[in-house]
Amino acid sequence: MKKSHENKYAIYLLTDELLHIIYKKDHCIDLKAAQLIVRDRMTLQNGREMPVLCDIREVRRVNKPARDYLALEGSQWVKALAFLIDPPVTDVISSIYLWTHAQSVPTRSFAKKSEALAFLKSIK
Amino acid sequence: MPNNDDFRVKRIQRMLLEMARGNFFYSLEPTHKNDNVASLVVMLNMVNEEIRASFIHQGFANAHNTPQCIIQLSFLMDTYGTIEMVTNSTCSLLSTLPKEIIGKPITDFMTEGSQKVWAKKMVKHLKRERSETVQFLEFISKDGLLLGKDCHISVFRSLDGSGQKILLDTVFFSKGEPFGTELPKKTLKVTKGIKEPKVTLTPEDIEMIRDVHDMIINNLDRDLPLLKDLALQMGTNEYKLKYGFKQLYGTTIFRFLTHERLRKTKTLIQHSNLSLKEIAHLTGFKSAAHFSRAFRDKYGKSPSDLRG
Repeated sequence: MKKSHENKYAIYLLTDELLHIIYKKDHCIDLKAAQLIVRDRMTLQNGREMPVLCDIREVRRVNKPARDYLALEGSQWVKALAFLIDPPVTDVISSIYLWTHAQSVPTRSFAKKSEALAFLKSIK
Repeated sequence: MPNNDDFRVKRIQRMLLEMARGNFFYSLEPTHKNDNVASLVVMLNMVNEEIRASFIHQGFANAHNTPQCIIQLSFLMDTYGTIEMVTNSTCSLLSTLPKEIIGKPITDFMTEGSQKVWAKKMVKHLKRERSETVQFLEFISKDGLLLGKDCHISVFRSLDGSGQKILLDTVFFSKGEPFGTELPKKTLKVTKGIKEPKVTLTPEDIEMIRDVHDMIINNLDRDLPLLKDLALQMGTNEYKLKYGFKQLYGTTIFRFLTHERLRKTKTLIQHSNLSLKEIAHLTGFKSAAHFSRAFRDKYGKSPSDLRG
């Protein structure tokens, strides 16, 4: 089963094993954006808990209310989370996010997609 | 606009200076670049936001009783958005002189994104006789620092309909004295009801309490152990855990737990097909009734109202 979806801020690709979210360029992720991103993700998953690969390489700004929202309200139905980053900017974004917000699911950042996928696969 | 490293580093220094003075309301304009300077800009903005947020409640620095200065940003404009009058603190916030502001369109001091929002929204508001709205807008100071905040925008009109004015108004909170050296006239105490610190917290205590905080967040669906047992497990006593948590996070452990659980339920109500009973169970509430009551207390309407 493969499904895809697109909104203003991200592209979603859903397979049997995982959900791949690619954040688009040129958007400041504020609370409204974060709520929309989470809403569409949850609609797509329809109650299924799954690993998520989150490609944030084009992201340049996620503000504090959005970060707080994504960390708690926005982390439901996520079994494990891998950020795909492109140092140095998105490396810093993911590091501060992980450092300042408690994670209820295994979460790590990777510069290589293959390593990110391997990590997600290793979490049962 | 020059965008070499020298210029960007100067902006970073300017921002750090403002932070050193206790002004955490500025930010730096992000770029599309992906280099080390850009990563520092991103980091500074994010750290700045985290520090700013920690002053809302007592914060990690035990900032209770710290006077917080209110700095007002305020413009009086005609219906075209041309600035007619400003306050002194507005000029200080933007690092400009009154003569550099008055007579200019307000959009001259906004970021591109805010200019668009302004152009779109104001047409609508000016059509009404009187209107008030809150809108997030970002201003740029002369030093190139960004000031973003929800602004109150009010449209005034005289009785005979002969004239309209726009007032744009917002406030910023500062840790230090805002500008100049005189004592701030208006101070706001962030702490309610706590006169003296109940317990003295060492850095280790703060670390321990933050661990408790993270532990609660990571186990929202599970029952909290008795505070006595939790304290023992963390190598402290119940008194320190209880009052230390309140000092750091401005709420009790149980209220905090309920609050965080409710945040989760809200998304589940909105975006899942789960029954309210299932949601209550999943998020750690004892019963659907308890969940409904807590939800109504917090959000002013019942879970079923929200689902509609």
